Amino acid sequence: MLTKLPVIAALTAQDIVVASEPTWLQQWRQAAWQHVNEGAVPLWRRTDLTAFALADMEFSATTSTSQLGSAIPDGVVVMPLSQAVREHGDLVKAHLGSAVSFNASKYAALNAATWRDGWFVYVPKNHEASVPLHLLQGFGAGNTLVARNLVVLERGAQLSLIEQYAGDGGPFAVVASELILGEGATLKYTSMQTWGANVHHMGHQVAKVGNDATIVWTSVNTGAAHQHIDAETNLVGNGSRVDWTAATVAGEGQRLLTAPWLRHVGRATEAHMDFKTVVKGSGYATFDGMIKIEGGSTDTVTRLEEHALHLSPQARSDSIPGLKIDTNNVQKAGHASTSGEVDDEQLFYMQARGIPKSDAVHMIVMGFFESVLDRIPLDTLREQVTADISARI
Amino acid sequence: MELVIKDLHANIGDKEILKGVNLTVTPGTIHAIMGPNGSGKSTLSNTIMGHPSYTVTSGEVWYKGQNVLELPVDERAKLGLFLAFQYPVSIPGVTVANFLRAAVNAHRSVAGKDTRETAIPMAQYRKEIREKMAALGVDDSFARRYLNDGFSGGEKKRVEILQMSMLKPSMAIMDETDSGLDIDALKVVSQGVNTLLTQNPEMGVLVITHYQRLLNYIKPHRVSVMMEGRIVREGGPELALELEERGYDFIREEVFGNAN
Repeated sequence: MLTKLPVIAALTAQDIVVASEPTWLQQWRQAAWQHVNEGAVPLWRRTDLTAFALADMEFSATTSTSQLGSAIPDGVVVMPLSQAVREHGDLVKAHLGSAVSFNASKYAALNAATWRDGWFVYVPKNHEASVPLHLLQGFGAGNTLVARNLVVLERGAQLSLIEQYAGDGGPFAVVASELILGEGATLKYTSMQTWGANVHHMGHQVAKVGNDATIVWTSVNTGAAHQHIDAETNLVGNGSRVDWTAATVAGEGQRLLTAPWLRHVGRATEAHMDFKTVVKGSGYATFDGMIKIEGGSTDTVTRLEEHALHLSPQARSDSIPGLKIDTNNVQKAGHASTSGEVDDEQLFYMQARGIPKSDAVHMIVMGFFESVLDRIPLDTLREQVTADISARI
Repeated sequence: MELVIKDLHANIGDKEILKGVNLTVTPGTIHAIMGPNGSGKSTLSNTIMGHPSYTVTSGEVWYKGQNVLELPVDERAKLGLFLAFQYPVSIPGVTVANFLRAAVNAHRSVAGKDTRETAIPMAQYRKEIREKMAALGVDDSFARRYLNDGFSGGEKKRVEILQMSMLKPSMAIMDETDSGLDIDALKVVSQGVNTLLTQNPEMGVLVITHYQRLLNYIKPHRVSVMMEGRIVREGGPELALELEERGYDFIREEVFGNAN
């Protein structure tokens, strides 16, 4: 028999605590909960916060919403985060909250305080995972999913990780991902928001990249009615690198926002960002990015490209790129941005070869995304996502 | 079938570029249009094909019983018209092979029939594109490259001819195909066109060029001179040689006098 789940906003500090968890985690959750209640409402002008009202969210203690879409690569520890708290307590304690602080926003705090589900992924020193790992997150009981993934790569470790949100339900998803890369580690991180059309997705993702470590980050955002993703790459280590691309499709009724932050902290850090967006129907996509080059970061190389294609006159995309430089030793900093309809010259060229206009638009748009989708490591997943996008444009 | 251009007027914005072009290209002939820069040659080729930047204000272009100006661009192509572009655009993310297959299949498509029925079988397509690429000295790896993306001038023109040889048009318009080509590339490209002509003797070719140079390799049967948006002179191949020798000024004087 179904019992009504409590609304999150009505919980008490005592409800937050999981009795079986160690004291440090109980205290952490309670501190986060305090921030949920006392922290300021985020100043996100382009996200409709009424779509993420705490008063509408039900608390659910479901812990079986996280699935695996692939086998576990040999030598990699993959288990529910709640289990890792028991079995790898020291590792979890050392890293939990070190990338996504609960101070980041009320929603980061909500996630920290109330997460029940999500994964712990650990790649030991110098271990190279031979096959990609696919984490698949769906909805459970109640209207709200709160899940948290903690991914730790030790020195010299290598992993290809796909983190996918898929399915219908909710509609609220408040999720967080922490990615910790030790010295010389390489993470190929494919994060996919492919929810059903009614979902309200609130995500915090932070990668902390150690000395000479590399993250190759591929973001695919095609689902949900509302999306707010705060994503950050923190190039904290000397010689650390990020190669960051994203493909976003906002169709009829969708409002998808990504706020990528790139922090250059270490010396000789290098970043390439290439974000691509297609808006259609009444779709609305926002790129609200910031590149921050900190005072101690010297010999920095950073390049940001963002391109948006508009497939209908009502569709809208906003781009608010920011660059803040607190060092006088930048080797290279570049920015390129385009936004508009499909290029007339490209269309004419293709039509002049007999290709009907609608097919030509389709090919141009798929070509636009090709360099991003091409990076999805699992063939079946890549084909599926490509077909999904293809069917929508 | 003849391509018949009747009193064609076209604008870019408010500016009239074509001021009444009359021209007939007969099947099986190579017809050169020569003229100084700014005479409207490229506007003519783009207007025939339907470039959205040009507005036809009056006139007709008849081909195979249809006024092609009334057809969408892709239908003009399917009717057998082909434009080899002066400046082919790049289309990132779309490979030469996929693009050409889409183009070939669009040409083979028939209204009311499932495209899966009319599409070229993959093996046949691969064989054909490989043969054509080899003939044009285009490396196999080109098929996997993004269309015109990072291609040199010579590579772009070869790929234009590759497309032409795959699509087998009945009327080809070559817009300044010689521009940006060194002599070796010019020879390869011309040879490609000549091979196609041998295989399709009924093909008409409209060669648009500023210089006589290209016409040493693609020998025209007819030469028309374009100036200030009109065809002002027609003749045989000897006209091209005369232009080479004397420049355009003597025609300008004959047609417009010394007034301008």
